[in-house]
Amino acid sequence: MAGIPELKSEWIWGVLIVAFLIPAVNPLGVDFPDSPITNEIYDLIENLPEGSLIVMGGSGVIAFDIESSPGMIACVRQMERLGYKLVTCPLGSETPQYHKFIIDSAKVDVSAGGSWVYGEDYALLPYLPGGTAALVAYLEDFKGTVSVDMRGIPISELPIFDDFNNYEDIDIWICPHWGFVTIIRICTGEYGLTAISFAQSTAYAFFSPYMQAYPGQVYMTNGYLGGAQYERLNDMKGLGHMVQDSYTIVSVLIAGFIVLGNVTMVMKGEEEE
Amino acid sequence: MISTDPWIWLSALLSLSCFSLLYGDNKFFRWAETTYTAAVVGHSVVTGLLTLRDRLYPLYTGTNLLLIIPAILGVLSLLVVWRQYAWMASVSMAVLIGVNTGISIRTLMGTDIIGNTRAVIGEASTIVAADASMMTKFGYLIRVVFTITALLYFLFTIFPRKGTVATAFDVIRDVGKYALIIYMGISLGNSMQQFVGTATSAIYRLTGLWLGLG
Repeated sequence: MAGIPELKSEWIWGVLIVAFLIPAVNPLGVDFPDSPITNEIYDLIENLPEGSLIVMGGSGVIAFDIESSPGMIACVRQMERLGYKLVTCPLGSETPQYHKFIIDSAKVDVSAGGSWVYGEDYALLPYLPGGTAALVAYLEDFKGTVSVDMRGIPISELPIFDDFNNYEDIDIWICPHWGFVTIIRICTGEYGLTAISFAQSTAYAFFSPYMQAYPGQVYMTNGYLGGAQYERLNDMKGLGHMVQDSYTIVSVLIAGFIVLGNVTMVMKGEEEE
Repeated sequence: MISTDPWIWLSALLSLSCFSLLYGDNKFFRWAETTYTAAVVGHSVVTGLLTLRDRLYPLYTGTNLLLIIPAILGVLSLLVVWRQYAWMASVSMAVLIGVNTGISIRTLMGTDIIGNTRAVIGEASTIVAADASMMTKFGYLIRVVFTITALLYFLFTIFPRKGTVATAFDVIRDVGKYALIIYMGISLGNSMQQFVGTATSAIYRLTGLWLGLG
């Protein structure tokens, strides 16, 4: 059998970068399947009464939370369309920036062409240190826990907080971060809130059993695929759709590299024998 | 059209410099690494100062003077850098760890142990339910069997080591071992998906936001 030439890592990286560039420059529009859970999440949010208060909160790292952004951005647009209100609960030091990134990317503020007015339809809060204890305090006594918003404006001056006192005023909690398990344990386990997560792929593998532990109360989408599904439900194309193209090309490449690697390993073993 | 926003240009240069590590260590990557580290430190300082402003706002305005207690605890935690008085930081750490642990243990029992046990029992009942499809029942059967055998894999002390019963438990533990291996494979696959997506996001920032392509 002919010998397989040794591949330098730089060549492999070069091939992979080209594989990523192709869909970025020329989108393929690869189709992807639906998910009943994603459809359930969409219907759940669609059927809330007008004026519902939704909290977007949790703790995570922006670099990984980007994977949750396609679904979350689509969901924020859905909330704006349906006239809901959104308040954040950033439990991580990088989370306030991520929440602002979501709002800016969704273009729901009046300054970006949307219909949401800051302080009336949505509000961004600053980092709440304290982890689980801060979350419990937020749910038990919101006005005792939070005094000012991200810009330093007292919450008493923002109309969106007039009727927000504790967990009973929250309709749904959405967590686009890795720290969803804390939200499940506290918000759902202790306070009975419905919790939704546009989960990262790795987080989905770890946390999906909680959907069976709390059926009808805990929902999760799966990574960029879930984000693409939610974008499609909201009739938009974004990062989620873009990534599906990359998945297709890179999956074929990775399978090829695995076969190549195993063949090389077997041949080297024969040579050593 | 190529972006004229200087921040997007900076983002693009930092991204390209980080990617250059794939070829080999170089000055551009070192520059990007140092810049990022400095930005993280600066961000932490600003976050800390803003947190002091936001969290202690009622103390400054006199509406909640009890906040002097966490303010003092916060100052005590800084004393960890002063060797002579570092023991004072233990008080702050004890309060922080004690409160969070107390809340977490209670909720962990409720969700992770009771909640997941309830889920396994519920799925086991679905296996014998008359109104579920065969594929659904088979799927739940696999989930229940894999869950129980994977848990049994970690029990090394209470099962017999010799005889027919021991052989049977060895088979059960082998099934559990393969269930764990399959789970790790799925987790690894999901992690690869995550990194592919993150790389796509980075490439899009370069091609879409910076160069205006696609």
